[in-house]
Amino acid sequence: MVTLEKNIKGIKDVLTSQDIIVFEFQSSAGKKFAAIYADGIADKQLLGELVVKPLREVGRDAKLEEVKLLLASPEVKDCKKIKDGITEVSDGNAVLFVDGEKDFFVIGLKNPPGRSVAEPPTQVTLKGPREGFTEDIKVNLGLVRKRLKSEKLHIKMLKSGQRSDTAVALIYLDDVVKKGLPEEVEKRIADNEIDLIPDSSYIAQFISGSPKSLFKRNGTSEKPDIFCAKVCEGRVGIIVDGSPIALTVPYILTEDLQTAEDYYSVSYRSTILRILRVFSLMVGMFLPAMYISAQLFKIQLIPFQLLLKISSSISGLPLSPSVEMFFTLFVLEVLNEASIRMPKYVGLALSVVGALVLGDTAVKAGIISTPAIIIVAFSAICLYTTPDLVETTSTLRWIFLIISGSIGPFGIVLFAAFIICYLVTEQSYGAPLLAPFAPVVKSDLYDSMVKANMKNLKDRPRSYGTQNKVRYKAK
Amino acid sequence: MKICTRQICFIMLAYTAVSKIIIYPTFLSSLCGRDLWFPALFSFAVQAVVVWAISYLCSRTDKTLFQLIEGTLGNICARIVYGLFGLFFILGTIMPLSEQKLYTHAIFYDTVPSLLVFLPFFMFSVYAASKKFTNIGRSADICLPLFVLSLLFLLVMSLWEVHWDNFLPAFKTPAKDLFGGSLATAYLFFEPCWLLMFMGHFKYNKWDATKITASYIGGGLLVMLILFIYYGIYGEAAVSRQFAISKISLFFPAIDLLGRIDLVALYVLEVVMLFAVVLNIQLAVHCFAECTGWQNRAALSAIVNGVLLVLIIVLDSKYNSLSQVFGKWLWIVFLLFATVVPLLSWAMKRRAK
Repeated sequence: MVTLEKNIKGIKDVLTSQDIIVFEFQSSAGKKFAAIYADGIADKQLLGELVVKPLREVGRDAKLEEVKLLLASPEVKDCKKIKDGITEVSDGNAVLFVDGEKDFFVIGLKNPPGRSVAEPPTQVTLKGPREGFTEDIKVNLGLVRKRLKSEKLHIKMLKSGQRSDTAVALIYLDDVVKKGLPEEVEKRIADNEIDLIPDSSYIAQFISGSPKSLFKRNGTSEKPDIFCAKVCEGRVGIIVDGSPIALTVPYILTEDLQTAEDYYSVSYRSTILRILRVFSLMVGMFLPAMYISAQLFKIQLIPFQLLLKISSSISGLPLSPSVEMFFTLFVLEVLNEASIRMPKYVGLALSVVGALVLGDTAVKAGIISTPAIIIVAFSAICLYTTPDLVETTSTLRWIFLIISGSIGPFGIVLFAAFIICYLVTEQSYGAPLLAPFAPVVKSDLYDSMVKANMKNLKDRPRSYGTQNKVRYKAK
Repeated sequence: MKICTRQICFIMLAYTAVSKIIIYPTFLSSLCGRDLWFPALFSFAVQAVVVWAISYLCSRTDKTLFQLIEGTLGNICARIVYGLFGLFFILGTIMPLSEQKLYTHAIFYDTVPSLLVFLPFFMFSVYAASKKFTNIGRSADICLPLFVLSLLFLLVMSLWEVHWDNFLPAFKTPAKDLFGGSLATAYLFFEPCWLLMFMGHFKYNKWDATKITASYIGGGLLVMLILFIYYGIYGEAAVSRQFAISKISLFFPAIDLLGRIDLVALYVLEVVMLFAVVLNIQLAVHCFAECTGWQNRAALSAIVNGVLLVLIIVLDSKYNSLSQVFGKWLWIVFLLFATVVPLLSWAMKRRAK
């Protein structure tokens, strides 16, 4: 006969830390039990209500099956191996040992501390739902289920991270997703042998296929409504425990030019905004470089009146145009980085120091010119019209700046051609990164730069090779 | 399939046009004056027939040119022909590349820069030429809208300044000069060779021959329109105005207020021009890969670009001499490869054993 002490020892030998609590209790008839859980991530109140309280009524000779019938928890799992019990305790669940029994139960009591569902700071909308994902995978899956009640919705739970054992959920619509795609994603997740997965961005690097590329290979979303819309279009969604940012694959570049609001507003307005975003993106990337090129190599690019203004403001500057721009952009990047990392209240002081002291004084001291500050500031604002691409575009802005300072405008055009040449053959799980423009996918063009009326979007995007191509049938 | 009919049509329309709007109009106006449109019309008409003949041949066989030659004359012969085509594409790149070099110096820089600023082109070219037909096709997908938008912008800015009476009286140029103008510029016309290389790499559907030929004619018509605008604006002074496309929109009133906004369109058009020049290098690499059986395209691309780099450095200031050599002597090579050989491909067995 296996004693309760032996089972407890099996777990305590491995989980030696003091936050692993062993709670021993017995029924009124004298039957002994022990619940083991990790303090702080298991719900103690539920343990009392759903486990301890009902088991008071257990008779002394009750068998395991009878005990199970009395447990009021909806999440009870039979378990045989101590190793599995250890994993479950680490994960936040509780194990329940019954005196005299080798087998035991795992009770789902996981309730780690976390914030409640709130509007995500990175994807704020004026119209449409305001719920955002949290760090809790269960809450996130609930938010998805709330929107996608289809019986074809598949949620496959995986584990990743050799030490963290992080829960990862693959979410897809079985009858829509491209055949073999979930398996491919699963394989790539399973193939990684990293010890810790603190955030979904780790998973993103493992599933990308081109981790060294400047261009990402997966979409991200903090909003369940966007996430569900993407899953409905035939993508595979990935939610990682501990991360509020969900991933989706395949990914195409135009995704990041779209916002949730595009689908909640009039299509004309959405189209104008999308064109505006593309235009802003181009201006944000090219403007500082073109300004340098114009000053150094092709003065005709600047209108004559503006040229007079610029020449008056740059006369007497100690720095060359390219060094000046380089310096101004450097200051912007430093301010940007510092304002994100600094405590909120220091951040306010920082913006005053950054904007007034650094900017205004530097201009008055004749170190940098006003046009340089205007151009860098405008460029930064423009890039933030597509926040999901900022990492890529701001890096490209640096490269364009260096090229324009050394080779001039021809270098800018040449590098732009190089990027096009690179991007046209790049893929994300078989979907061309520049689809629906290269290759041209006619039906997908209705939801690219142009946002057609919902009545015209009868088909799912063809670029992802979905099984079920029809989004809805008009009556 | 690596490339599709739509992409071939885009190539025929956009790349044909952009490769003939830099020095071609100036050269023709020096040879034929106000009748410059006639040799252009003649050249495009002849090439359109060849383009149609090859695209129609594509409907009769699903084999590549290599397979056709191999099936008729044997593998060695096919390799030799592809090797010669590889050399031909290198030869065909020299003039467009020299034009590009001069053109970029003119539109991107206020003062004539060192040759060094053009050399990074070869870094791009080495990368692009190592790519296969999928890349060529998809690049064309991106290039067409860029081409249409930028050209439309330039045409809208320039059309108002055309003096149509500059073309009168017509046909005063001797016929010998008109046909001479066509022959002297034959080195810019080898689009049928592009199509010949694409043969067997795309799925032929009904009416594709018509679509491809129509696209080529469309490209030709755009070049003709630019010729008309260019000569219509400058008249007899056109001879002294090089780089036609950068000159046609100079008189647009808004330029005084907004600066050289036409340069923005020209820079966008330059992207398409770069891809058009690189296409020849890509095809040269393709031919050498078939000829040698060596599939390391990156190395082949580096070699081909290395050869071109040496040629561009050596012939840096010899554009005029080069254009004379190409115009007076080498037209026969272009006629042979761009017209005769493509038509001869009809004689190949269309069902290889």
